[in-house]
Amino acid sequence: MKKSILLASFLAVSSLSVNAAEIKFVCYQDSNECDVLQQMSSIWEDSTGNSVNFEVVGYDVVRDQLENQLEAGSAPDVARVTNLGGLNQYYLDLTPYVDSAAWEKNYGATLPWYRKPSGDNGIYGWQTQLTVTGPYVNVTMFEDAGVDMPEEGATWDDWADALRVVKSELGLTAGLAMDRTAHRWAGPAFSYGAKFHENGVPILVDQGFRDFAETFVGWHAEGLMPAEGWPAGAGTAYKNAAPLFLDGTVAMHMSGSWMLNNYDTNITDFEWKVVPIPCGTGGCGAMPGGSGIVAFNSSKHPEVAASFIDFMSQAGKAGYFAANTRNITAHQGLQKAGIDYPGVSQRVSAGLSTFAANAGKAAESTPQAYWFQGYNKNFAIYGIVPDYITKAITGEMSLDDALTAIDADVAAKIAE
Amino acid sequence: MFESLLNLNSWFLFFTLYLLIGFILSKDVYGFLPKLMSSIGWPIEFTQKLFGTKSLPYLFLFPNILIFGLFTFLPLFMNFGFSVTDGTSINFVSRDFSGLDNLARITQEVQIDTGGINVENDKFNAAMYDTFVFVILQVPIMILIALFTAIVLNREIIGRGFWRAVFFYPVMLSPVVVAFLWTLILKRQGMLSQTLIDWNWISEPIQWLMDPSWTMFWSIFVYTWAHMGFYMLILLAGLQSIPRDLYEAAQMDGTSERRVFWRITLPLLMPILLVVTVLSLIKAVQAFEELYALQVGWVSLVSYIVENAGIRGQKTFFGLGIAAMASLIVASILIILSLLQFYLTRRQVKL
Repeated sequence: MKKSILLASFLAVSSLSVNAAEIKFVCYQDSNECDVLQQMSSIWEDSTGNSVNFEVVGYDVVRDQLENQLEAGSAPDVARVTNLGGLNQYYLDLTPYVDSAAWEKNYGATLPWYRKPSGDNGIYGWQTQLTVTGPYVNVTMFEDAGVDMPEEGATWDDWADALRVVKSELGLTAGLAMDRTAHRWAGPAFSYGAKFHENGVPILVDQGFRDFAETFVGWHAEGLMPAEGWPAGAGTAYKNAAPLFLDGTVAMHMSGSWMLNNYDTNITDFEWKVVPIPCGTGGCGAMPGGSGIVAFNSSKHPEVAASFIDFMSQAGKAGYFAANTRNITAHQGLQKAGIDYPGVSQRVSAGLSTFAANAGKAAESTPQAYWFQGYNKNFAIYGIVPDYITKAITGEMSLDDALTAIDADVAAKIAE
Repeated sequence: MFESLLNLNSWFLFFTLYLLIGFILSKDVYGFLPKLMSSIGWPIEFTQKLFGTKSLPYLFLFPNILIFGLFTFLPLFMNFGFSVTDGTSINFVSRDFSGLDNLARITQEVQIDTGGINVENDKFNAAMYDTFVFVILQVPIMILIALFTAIVLNREIIGRGFWRAVFFYPVMLSPVVVAFLWTLILKRQGMLSQTLIDWNWISEPIQWLMDPSWTMFWSIFVYTWAHMGFYMLILLAGLQSIPRDLYEAAQMDGTSERRVFWRITLPLLMPILLVVTVLSLIKAVQAFEELYALQVGWVSLVSYIVENAGIRGQKTFFGLGIAAMASLIVASILIILSLLQFYLTRRQVKL
């Protein structure tokens, strides 16, 4: 009997060691996302005997190098990505390995972002978090300047007026900064009435787009927006404007929900808060988005990779992730039930609510935001817009020429 | 710990075995020292016996050729391949042959895929024009300053060694460090703007690196500052190779300093000056690192290539092909400049 037990134990251990696999996970983090994922993955590792080799990298690596790795056949098994639709051809379809009905129920709103443009019902990734663009405001500056903040429903023009006063009262370099990418630019452009597409075909420059472009160039010309922002980048380069908000150069930063944790940790010398997304004639535009965890079809352990993602996407874990990274969950059940964010400051809690409300407003008043997020070549457009708008700001091109060039360049970039 | 790392016992065993093989193979060699040398160098002697003396140099060159081929020639051919194909992939199997379409995309007024305005042509032309302006201004300015500095530092001045080190020092700095240092000075709230405001020379701070009126000036200034030391050193070596007796003879004849410079120094320095000119021309056409890190307000040819190649952000279907075609055009310019350098160097040797 003893011998049989020993033999059975030996066989069990051997089978575990034979089946156990290690998957490589390339993870980037804005704040502590990968640290939290690592904590969560240890439970999966203990329960399955498999292991996850985390490689925590900068966002640039995922943005600029991952696709080359995928093409060269040296891709990881799993990665955390933001270019959701753009890398579709490399994704592993999780459908055979997961409960499709449960995924559709819990993540049905975001699953299309990962799919091919048409006729694709695959399940490719777990949307770890929803992000929404929106402005952060330096409350201390408004108080010091004696300026009342515009109320919810105020337009971008109202905010510009208020920021002009804050700037002049406090002698600031500028009032408003925006990250240099069309991802941040799109929300205000939607508010001014830009449609961005017609029947799924990108048509960027319409009257709304032109109106906001004129306003945006004007804000730079009058000094409301800083020369260190958009004009300080050449070509399609992305530029983060957070340092300008952190060092008090500006009183408002048009960024997004992913900066909450960062600002909560790093801003200690002034009060700040997230304000409702400003509106306009076209609605109250904010860009939804976020990042997700996908597995790649080159993985040698597709079943293990799929099992890992499936495990992490379940309500309990998704809730833990959202709560501990101070993010908005994409899990539709949790969205209804609400997430309890333990130990978060009042401003983070309020910020999360404001961003969630921004996402709702955008869905109602500017649905083109959701189309743009799901468009699989949106990353090319993110770079083209700043390239030419910057030239209009610096006077290298007239605004008319810049807008004509944007249309022509987008058409050429998406022609295949 | 170290013993386990180096595994001394194993090394000793291998070395003994190595010597033993050498000892057996050198059985025809007599005398202790020749036998010991043959035992140590047996792989060379054995290879020589196997392939003959004529093939031996090629055998030694093989590793270098292999590395050179893999990392220089293979990318060269791949680049040519990219320039005549379309697609986002770097794998040729997934790319479509497109002939000279990419050349048309960067040179024609009409976009061949959409029939609309071709902005790629404008971007490429702008990069060519701006790079041309940069090269035409930067090279003569840098050579004149390098020549002047070399002449001054060739004289018997106090602390000559120190000054030579000071002028050469920027060459040793990484381009990113150079850019970082100058960004601190030239950004809007940087030292330069603040100083000029304090002196009431300007009322508003200026973003020197991005301002269209200033970006080229500061690009040339910083690039010259960073590279001038290298060319100064070559010119200094050239100045020191001019025979002293020529100067002594001129001095005895009472020739003026200016005449000595125009009639002795410059003519004898001319071959080196020409080589320096061509070298700096090539380097200026390739300018990228400092300009990229400085985030200047214009796009150089190399930046244009990097921008299109899909190295940053999402790749586009034609981007890599366009970048490869543009790089072939840059390569053609560099080949012409290199041939010029080759010709001048040969001419110098003959002189």
